[in-house]
Amino acid sequence: MRPDDRKYLESHEWAKLDSDTVIIGITDFAVEQLSHGNEDDLVYCDLPEVGRQLEMGETFGEIESVKAVGDLNSPVAGEVVEVNSEIEEHLEVLAQDPWGKGWLIRIKPLTKSLDHLLDAARYEKVLAEART
Amino acid sequence: MAMYRWRLLTTWDAPPGVNMGLDEALLERPSTPPTLRLYSWSPDTLSLGYFQRYADARGTAQAGAIVRRITGGGAIHHVNELTFSLVAPLAHPLYRCPLDASYARVHGAVTRALSVLGVEAHLRGEAALASDVAGTGMCFHASTSLDLCWGGRKGVGSAQRRRANRVLHHGSVKLGPSSLEEGAATVSGSGVSVTPEGFAPVLIEAFGEELGMRLEAGEVEPEELAEGERRGERYVSEEFVRRR
Repeated sequence: MRPDDRKYLESHEWAKLDSDTVIIGITDFAVEQLSHGNEDDLVYCDLPEVGRQLEMGETFGEIESVKAVGDLNSPVAGEVVEVNSEIEEHLEVLAQDPWGKGWLIRIKPLTKSLDHLLDAARYEKVLAEART
Repeated sequence: MAMYRWRLLTTWDAPPGVNMGLDEALLERPSTPPTLRLYSWSPDTLSLGYFQRYADARGTAQAGAIVRRITGGGAIHHVNELTFSLVAPLAHPLYRCPLDASYARVHGAVTRALSVLGVEAHLRGEAALASDVAGTGMCFHASTSLDLCWGGRKGVGSAQRRRANRVLHHGSVKLGPSSLEEGAATVSGSGVSVTPEGFAPVLIEAFGEELGMRLEAGEVEPEELAEGERRGERYVSEEFVRRR
């Protein structure tokens, strides 16, 4: 079971409320899809500038592995207030700890509600279907 | 086996910008049906990977044209080669599986087609390849366990672009040699001479049989072409080609 202290997009991003901001990352499934278990397979990550305004669902960055380039989509609308720039140089951190140190960006959301996103149980169902 | 309807497009000797712009248009247009497109390039073109550094690729002075792909990986010299793209929703049976499994499905079809020509391709697995060369920046000089090879050399380049709801798979099958990709496996190197147009029917039949595709020949719609040409201007622009 994935952490239930956050919400999810079907495209495998997670969003976690932290005071008046929302932290965004990608799930272990997304990392596994891109790297198939080899953290060296992640080769590049492009994240936005602080201050960028994002719509809900808007692509805010891109991540490349040796076999695929994937979009990073924002689960919420708001302003990017912090970027985990360490990730761009150390993608292995994303592979090792996607729920914590591997966070990508922090957003000041227009609204703090995450009710439009999937809870952990529903996200698990999405993953079950993806594996069939 | 379940059969799924796919549109089949063939666009031979297309300009590099149109080739990339059209693939992006197919990926971005939600109304696009699942589409297999087979194509070749004119002039011969060096395509850089989406994130690749311009300075890391060889052959930028020798190739007839340069484009940056929408997919990642190393550079490919598109000459004596057939390129294909497979665009479908992420929920389509082809892609609704782990990424490496979707590679295996596509490669199953390509392997079948090559076998018809008498070329016995297989996944690299953990084997070392004679075609691996460090430092050239070329796709065919770097390999992963998922790559298709024969004779101990890589002969098919592959990459995927995944949007939130749709996927583009790029494949490049080496039919003959390129001076920029010395050592790569080629169909001609196995003693078989075939053009992209000649290989196409074999590949189409293999996709149909291996992946349960019911392929229906179609035409690029005028609005798709217009959008492809518009989007393609970016892929050949100096700014985008040299963006890294």
